[in-house]
Formats: sequence, C-alpha cells, structure tokens
Amino acid sequence: MDVDVIGEDKYGSAAYAKLFEEIMGDLNKATLIERVKLVLKPDVPLFVFSVVLKAAPSRKTIPDAATIRFEIDGVHVTITQERYAPDILRVLWARYGRSNVVQQTRFDLDVAGAKEEELAEMEISSGEEDMREIMGAIWRTMPEGIKNRKTLIDGHIITVVATEEILRPEMLEEGIQVHRFMGGGARCSR
Amino acid sequence: MFEVMMYDGGVYRSEELFEAIEDVGGVVLQRNRSSQMLTVIMSIPGEDKEAISRVCTDIGGVVKEVPLAGTEIAVVGPTLGRHHMPHPICDIAEELRRYGAITVVMGLARGRGKLTSQISKVEKDIIDEYDAAVFMLGNFKPCVEKKADLMREIHVPTVLVCGPRPEGVDDACEAIIDGVGRKASRMRLPDERAKLEEVADTVDDVLRDKKRSLEEDPLFVHPAEVKQILENYEPIDMCLRPAPIVLHLDGLRVKIPYEEHREYLENVLVYGRKLGEVAYISPSKIDNSSVIIRIKTRSQVEDEDRAR
Repeated sequence: MDVDVIGEDKYGSAAYAKLFEEIMGDLNKATLIERVKLVLKPDVPLFVFSVVLKAAPSRKTIPDAATIRFEIDGVHVTITQERYAPDILRVLWARYGRSNVVQQTRFDLDVAGAKEEELAEMEISSGEEDMREIMGAIWRTMPEGIKNRKTLIDGHIITVVATEEILRPEMLEEGIQVHRFMGGGARCSR
Repeated sequence: MFEVMMYDGGVYRSEELFEAIEDVGGVVLQRNRSSQMLTVIMSIPGEDKEAISRVCTDIGGVVKEVPLAGTEIAVVGPTLGRHHMPHPICDIAEELRRYGAITVVMGLARGRGKLTSQISKVEKDIIDEYDAAVFMLGNFKPCVEKKADLMREIHVPTVLVCGPRPEGVDDACEAIIDGVGRKASRMRLPDERAKLEEVADTVDDVLRDKKRSLEEDPLFVHPAEVKQILENYEPIDMCLRPAPIVLHLDGLRVKIPYEEHREYLENVLVYGRKLGEVAYISPSKIDNSSVIIRIKTRSQVEDEDRAR
C-alpha cells in the first residue's frame, strides 16, 4: 500500500500515515488497497481521503469461493474462501432446506438434490458489503469530529471529503480534484 | 505521618503482614489478589516503615514505592468513541495504576471536533472531584491548541498529553507532554513505555506541589485514619463496589448513597470531633450513590472554632 500524505502539520501528517496503515491492517483491508492519498488541513478543517483499490468489489457466486463437484444424489461443495462460508451456508439453506445440506467438515458440504448449474448462479455477495466495510474502515481512520462527509465512488476509487461544519463548494471541488488525480471519473459532479 | 508503600508477593503468610499492619495502626488501602499472587497498598506510620518492610521480605515478597498511592486521578479524553479510546488513554491509566493511583477514564459528552468541542459545568465539577486530571488530545497542533480550552476553569492540577507541542497553552495546565497523540495500537515499544513513565512521573511532580502545600497547612486528620474508622460501618463493609473507599490527598470518596448515610457520616467521631465539623461532606457530582468527604485543614478548624 502506497500512502501519500499532503499536509502542513508535520507531526499530524506522519501520524496519520501510520494510523491509516495500522487501522487498515487491523481490519484486513490493507491487502485490498493499491494506493492512498490523504489531504489533511486541520486548520480549515478539511480532510480528503482518496483510496484506489486493487479491484472494484464485485458480485460473487458460489464457484468464486468454493469448488463444486457433481455426485449421484446431489453436489459436493468444498469451501476455499472461509470468509464466505456463512454466506454459502445461508443461500444453500434458503434454497434446499437445512435437512438437505449436510456439513461434513468445516469446509465440506453435501447438498442433496442440487445441480451444479444452479449453484453456479447463486449469489453469495453483491460486492456492496465489501464496499461498506472499506468505507467504514476509511471513516474510522478520519478524526472523530469530522462528521460532515461526501463520498465519491468510481469503480475501484473511493474519495471521502470531510469537514466539521458546512461542506462548502470549494471544499468539495478540492475533493473532486483529488478524486480525478487518483483516476476517478472526469464527470464526477456535485 | 503516614507513608504509603506496596507489598508485591505471594498469598502465603500474608496474614502475618495484615496483622503487622494492624499492630502498627496502619491501613490497607487496596488489596488485589490474582491467583496465588497478592499486591497490597498500605498506609502506615512513617516510624514503622522499616518493621513492615522487614515483614514483607520475611514472607517472601518485595516492597515497592508507589508515589501516587492514595490519589484518585481522572484520565480524560474528548469522547469515549473508538477514535479516542482505548489507546493510549487506557495505557496511561494503566501506568498510573502501576504507580499506585486509582484511575478513572472519562470521556466528554461533546468533546469531539476542533470547532465544536465543549465541556459542560457538570463535567468540570466531576473532574474537580479528583486529585488530578490527565487530558489526552490528538495529533494536530491547531486542534490541540483549540481544545486546550477544555482544561480552563478546572481547579485540580491538569496534565496535557498530546502529539505535537502546542503553543500558547502553558497557562491552561500544569504540565504538557508531547509525542503521544492518537494511536491505533497499544504503547508497547521501549520509547512508548518511556513516554508512559514520563506521564506518570509528571503527574507525581504535579501532585507533589499539592502535597507540599498540604504539609504546610496539614489536614485535621489524615484521610487514611478516616478510612480506618469508616470501613467498619456496615453499609461500607457490605458494599460490593470495587474499592468502596477511595483515598484522595485531601479526603475520601465513599461509595454509599449520600441521602441515606449523611447523618451517620456527619456524626461519626474523629479525635473527639464530629466528622461533619472537620470535613465538608457532599454528594458526588457523578450521582448520589457516592459521597465526597473533603477534610478541612487544622487552621481552618481552629478558625471556625474561634468564630463560634
């Protein structure tokens, strides 16, 4: 993760670069982030946090997080990404009922009466949740009193412009410029 | 003069220590048992310090200096939100406890933000109940300088702990320690541990001035002696709250409801005088479930006697 900090407060800039890395690391989001630009103006106060993700969070189906094997009376599922295990179980239970989903081990499931093509289409994550978690992580890194926020999202680029009281047009304009600099859409509007 | 020290050792033969403390007329301020280990903070007459130290070493423990024992200190953050808590506020509170203080962590209701941070009269009054307050602020210099106003009009000694060195706020507090600021992890590194020790040493220095002024005009009775008298009172003896009596430099916090026990507390005899005559007894500003006793100085009591 490449963190670029712009700010006149020497101590605060260095401290926030470290804070950002630590908090993202704690929340397991550091690996998703390619580069970051933090504009810190505590005098105003105005904070612009712009994050470029390695890839935009997208819709996930069961084959994205598990391998599926056809068997005589159903399908055998081996979960390969543990974090999606609850979601996989949830959708399988909803579709086939608990009695038809037998969890042999932590990662191995037998689904009676299921077909491979059905499972291939079942959505376990819309990508919104990932986005929400990343947004939550960004908000957590910002100072607590900076509550008035505007978020710009363009695929895999997220920019949060935040201030304490009124978010004035020139503040938003500064945020949009940072967003564009990071590769955000030129059409980004207020 | 009573002196405070800490025993750190095993539970084995600890009864001998408690008997020795009782024999010399001392008081156990705090007793913490963890499995087979025991720490006892005690207040004993100065002339018996050596004898008690000998008992401590005889039973296999060590005697430690606890310069902040007998004090209650508030560690105040702008809020109790995750941005300001738990690091490093809890680290500072823990370090102060290692120095013997009883600590309380407090967050302000509207302390966040640079332009909108506030402290209410009630919050100031609550902080004034403690012996000292440590204010923990953040990483940006203009924010720290602005929020230093939160400490004005607080009458107990205050120590400001923050990231950058603020300018123009020296009159708002007794001491400033920079280089801490907002953190997302515990203060474990050697330089961070050194910083925590610096905070505790600074609080000790600040309180030493207060102790010195109390030595010049001593209290009518030492708070530890009042504790000794009160701890046999049944509601206090039966109180399930941790540390039902907490010592302050100039009094005590007794964790029983004020309304129900005011009469007893005012009439209990201390050196032939009613406690209500030699101390101010009032309900805590936090709520009515505890009582603040502020002992008057000898000169104050003499003045009042003459005026009668």
